[in-house]
Order: sequence, then C-alpha cells, then structure tokens
Amino acid sequence: MKIDELSFEEALSKLEEVVKDLEKEDISLEDSMTRFETGIKLSSHALRKLNEAEEKIEELTRSEDGKLVSKELEVNTDS
Amino acid sequence: MNSENTTNSKIYTVSELSYRIKNNLENSFSGIWIEGEVSNFYFHNKKHMYFDLKDENSKIKIVMFYQNNHKLIFDIEEGLHIIVNGYISVYEKRGEYQLIASDARPVGKGSLILAFEQLKEKLLKKGYFDEEIKKRIPLLPQKIGVATARGGAVLKDIVSVLRSRSDNFHLVVRDVNVGGTTSAGDICEAIEDLCEYGVDTIIIARGGGSLEDLWAFNSEELALKIHDCPIPLISAVGHQTDYTISDFVADLRAATPSVAAENVMLDKKKMVLDLKKIRSGIEERISSRNRSRKDQLGFLIDRKYFRKPLTLLNKAYQDTGELSRDIAGSISSVAKGKRLRYKHQASRLEPEKIRGRIKSHKLLLRNTGMRWSNSFLKHKDNRKNKLGSSLINLEKSNPVAILKRGFSVAFDENTDRAIKSIRDTGIGKIIRLLLKDGTLKAKVMEVDNKIPEIGNKSENR
Repeated sequence: MKIDELSFEEALSKLEEVVKDLEKEDISLEDSMTRFETGIKLSSHALRKLNEAEEKIEELTRSEDGKLVSKELEVNTDS
Repeated sequence: MNSENTTNSKIYTVSELSYRIKNNLENSFSGIWIEGEVSNFYFHNKKHMYFDLKDENSKIKIVMFYQNNHKLIFDIEEGLHIIVNGYISVYEKRGEYQLIASDARPVGKGSLILAFEQLKEKLLKKGYFDEEIKKRIPLLPQKIGVATARGGAVLKDIVSVLRSRSDNFHLVVRDVNVGGTTSAGDICEAIEDLCEYGVDTIIIARGGGSLEDLWAFNSEELALKIHDCPIPLISAVGHQTDYTISDFVADLRAATPSVAAENVMLDKKKMVLDLKKIRSGIEERISSRNRSRKDQLGFLIDRKYFRKPLTLLNKAYQDTGELSRDIAGSISSVAKGKRLRYKHQASRLEPEKIRGRIKSHKLLLRNTGMRWSNSFLKHKDNRKNKLGSSLINLEKSNPVAILKRGFSVAFDENTDRAIKSIRDTGIGKIIRLLLKDGTLKAKVMEVDNKIPEIGNKSENR
C-alpha cells in the first residue's frame, strides 16, 4: 500500500481499518506498532490532500475537430 | 314501378355519394375543436395514434398521425380528458368518418404540468428515483464539473460560495445554453463532455424561471442521461420551490446553485474539522496519560525492585496497549459523532463564521500535523529543538520509540503473542525478538525465574 497514492477517501477508509485493528483485543504488540505508524501517516496524508492544489477554474469546449479543450476561465466575484 | 320512380331523382353511384359526403363534411368541419375523453387508445408502431373521443352518449374516431403527435409534450392515454383540434375526413373505402387531429391539449391543467406529472410517474415506476441507486457525492471532490451558462449569475454564485469556503478547488465549467426548449440536448452533451474530461462531481445548474424556462430539466432525454451518468451528479435548478425531473433523478438535489456549491464544499470543511478533532483527541489522551504515568513512575522509582529495565519494559508495553485502545476509542467516537452530524450540518452553516473557523482549524491542524510527522518521521535532534513538552511525551508513548531506546520485545513464534512472563514460553520453544532495526529468531535454552540485577550492576560500575 503506497499511502502517497491513496485518494482522500481511500486514506480515510484505511484509517478506519487501522482504528478497528487497534480496537481488537488480541492484536499483537508488533501489529499495533505498525498500525499506529500507518495511522499517523494516513492522517497526515489525508490532511495534505485537504490542503493541496490552488484554486483553478477552467472552461471546457470542443474544438472544430471535435476534441475537448480547456482553457483558464476568470470568474470575477467581487462587487 | 320502382324503376319509374327512380328516374325522377338522381341516382348516385356509391363512389359519387361518398365523394359528396366527404366534401360536405370536410368543408363544414375543418379547424374545429372537440372535447371528450380518450378511449380505445392504440399507438400503432409508436407512430400513428388511433383512439375514440367520447362523452356520455356518443363517440367519434380520431386519428393523429406522427407528424402531429410527435410534437405533443404529454402522453395521450386512456381516460384522459382532452380537447382535439382537426378536421373531419371520410374514409371512403369503408364509408367511415373520423377526425384527423393536428393538435391536442389536456383539459383542467396545462400541457407542461401534465407532461411533468406523466414523466415523473413513468420514471418513478422505472425506479429512476430510487434512493439505492443514488451515488454518493465524494467527500473531497478533486475536480468539480459544472454545466451552466458561462457568463451567467449562477456561475458567479457558485464560484463565490466555493471561494468563501476554500482556498483551493478545481472547477471545470462547461458552457450550456440553459433556457429555451432546445437546451436539453446541450445539457446532455455537457454531461458527456465533463464525464469524458474526467471530473468527480457534476453540477447542472440554472437560475429561476417559469415552468417553460426550466423545461429542459423536465425532459426525458436529460433524465435518461443523468440516470446513466457514471459520475455523481447534483441538480441545482431554479429557486427553492422549483422541482424538476432532473432534481428527482440526480444523486443530489440542491435547492439553488449556491446550495449546490455549499454541498460540495461542506463535506471538505467537515473533514478538516473531524481530522482536527481526532488528532487533538489523541493528543489530549496522550498528555493526560503521560501525566499519570509520570506520577506512577515517580512512585515506582523509589522502590529498588522496580528499577529493573525488564519491569519498565513490561510497564511500557502495558501503557502502549492502553494507549492504542484509547486512541482507537477517541477516533471511533469522533467518527460516530461525525456521522450524526452529517444530518445537521446544513442548518449550522454561516459562511463568514465557518470561514473564520476553518482558517483557525487549518492553522491548528497544520501545526499539529507538523508535530506529529516530525515526531514519527524526522530525526531526533531536529525534533527536540522544535517541539514542546507534549511532543516529548508523545514520543515516549510511541511504541516504536521504546525499541529505539534499545529495548526489545519477545514474541512466540507460533502464536505471535508477546512473551510477558517466563510462563508464556518454555525450553526449546522458538521465539522472535523484535528490535529497533529488525527481528531475531531464537531458541529458549534455559528458563530462570530470577530477575538479573542489570540496573544495579550498571550503577555499580
């Protein structure tokens, strides 16, 4: 499992799994350690996901040969 | 006798008479409206319509050919009360007359309303509105597609709501000629384009208007497109009180375009709050746990017997177990709370307040996140300079850190359980030792119930 490549929702569901594992009575010490570390990485990754990317607005059109093209679109919301 | 009489009057051939009747009727009854109830409706090959129009005493045959009936926006069906416009025609081969209809309208309500009701009923029966087939709007849409007029107020509304709730979003706008009866096709195309381009949420939106203005969103064509759309779709048409077929078929109906924007950004904000809560919950647990543990340790330290590394390790192990459970507990209780709060979120939203709160939460999160990742991933020296006492506590609680301090844990090879007592293993048993950089496989040679005085020995040296 490559945490960096997980989507936000995947990271959250993995985090939930980790939590469930940690709740198990019979979890071994070794497992609990790996789970603990994974959980921290997962939550960091999820937070990173929440904050990544700048605002981007683009407009989608079709060129004459029918291909999809996109270009930046300015939307002024002042006033 | 008879033949004599007849010579006085004109004798028609059948065709002649039929022709005259046809002429008479068609001239006298053209461009007329007739009102009645539909019965014996027959839609031949889905092209030409044949039915009777009747009242209490009489009925008359009606034919409505494809070139006229395909323009109807509502369906003619059995028992429907309608008025029909057309002319009487005679079918000479059978000596029958019928009304050739050019237009029809429902009685008692408008065609649009009737058409809306009929389509709604039809799609409802087909299961298009079923809750089970509704796709979930992603918690954190990475790319939001919106089909609306590019220069319209609706787009501005959406963007300004998104901006008030987030510094970072990715919006893909597909311009559509929203309005007029031709735009259903445009909206369908826009949905296709957005799907092809690759977005993870689609909003179809337009501002308020009359039933005619919003008609595109009541078309069967668009309803089918929405139903088949593989990407979660939000329908945001008109004002609070406007309901369209699109609203029913869509995965989510937003009362207005602004609300649609709130819906896609709502979840994102909520997640920031939840994650922040989870983390601060963990932190609280850890610091309170460490406080009490310190007290315990202080108490223990005075007792010579307890100054043994082995005992301390055991203790650390127990603490770790409890800690994990505490963390798990705090996370799951937050998660439970989260689910409940989904339902009540909408009412609590006030953009300005939220924005302020989000900013401070983000900051908090960033700090917390940094501390955590530092503590677990980065180098010790770095960490000590940067972090406060809570972090040092945290590090102590990290099970991995115990190994880093030079302790190791023994596991039974077969059961994978930690060996916490000499009774947990025996001579000849295979055990695994977990150290900071790997594991060792070992065999138990001897079992001795005395605890070596490691602590004292090292002090003595």
